[in-house]
Amino acid sequence: MISVTRDDFDVNAVIDRVRRPDMGALVTFLGVVRDDGIEVMELEAYEEVAVKELGTIRDEAFAKYPVTAVEVIHRIGRLRVGENILLIVVGAGHRKEAFDACEHILERIKQSVPIWKKEIGKDGERWVPGESFGGDA
Amino acid sequence: MQVRVRAFARLREAIGGDLTLEVPEGATMSRLLAAVGETSEQAGEALFEESGEIRGYVILMHNGRRVRRAEAGTLTLADGDEVALFPPVAGG
Repeated sequence: MISVTRDDFDVNAVIDRVRRPDMGALVTFLGVVRDDGIEVMELEAYEEVAVKELGTIRDEAFAKYPVTAVEVIHRIGRLRVGENILLIVVGAGHRKEAFDACEHILERIKQSVPIWKKEIGKDGERWVPGESFGGDA
Repeated sequence: MQVRVRAFARLREAIGGDLTLEVPEGATMSRLLAAVGETSEQAGEALFEESGEIRGYVILMHNGRRVRRAEAGTLTLADGDEVALFPPVAGG
């Protein structure tokens, strides 16, 4: 499943939904709001395009790695320090392809999914700079 | 004809939110961007260099697909199209 949502998720429930007897590995990445002296983080998305792009990234992962399940949930809205932001679960027969696919998916999300973060602290607010200019200079 | 403009992150703040703009039939993406820039001083400064070039960090989409800045002058818009403007993404 691919989702961009304001709702929190239950990591174990997602893993249980995905697991199958032929999987020897379920690699899970959980991204959370880090305490960098901030109070909250506001995430916004171009939702329709973000969901579509996440689907493309999932399909790429299936084409590139021998994995059998990919779940991605990305939260948006106002999140406090310690709250969940992103969950990626990859199921595969063996660990290596699961780790590799999970990392690939994460890097691709940072590169091309239209989601932005604003950090809000006591001293003010700032948009987290994007890492990718999309090769269109 | 009417074109919907959606802006995100600091470009949304500069432009003030989503817009629906009236542009002449056959207007290009460049023509639309100029119209967005004319809505306010803040919007103009966020989108354009002093030279009039589109700023390097502005990413363009047309109906959910990326458009290279070099194509903006030739890409023709149609009534009901959606154009999105945003800075480099920072999810994950």
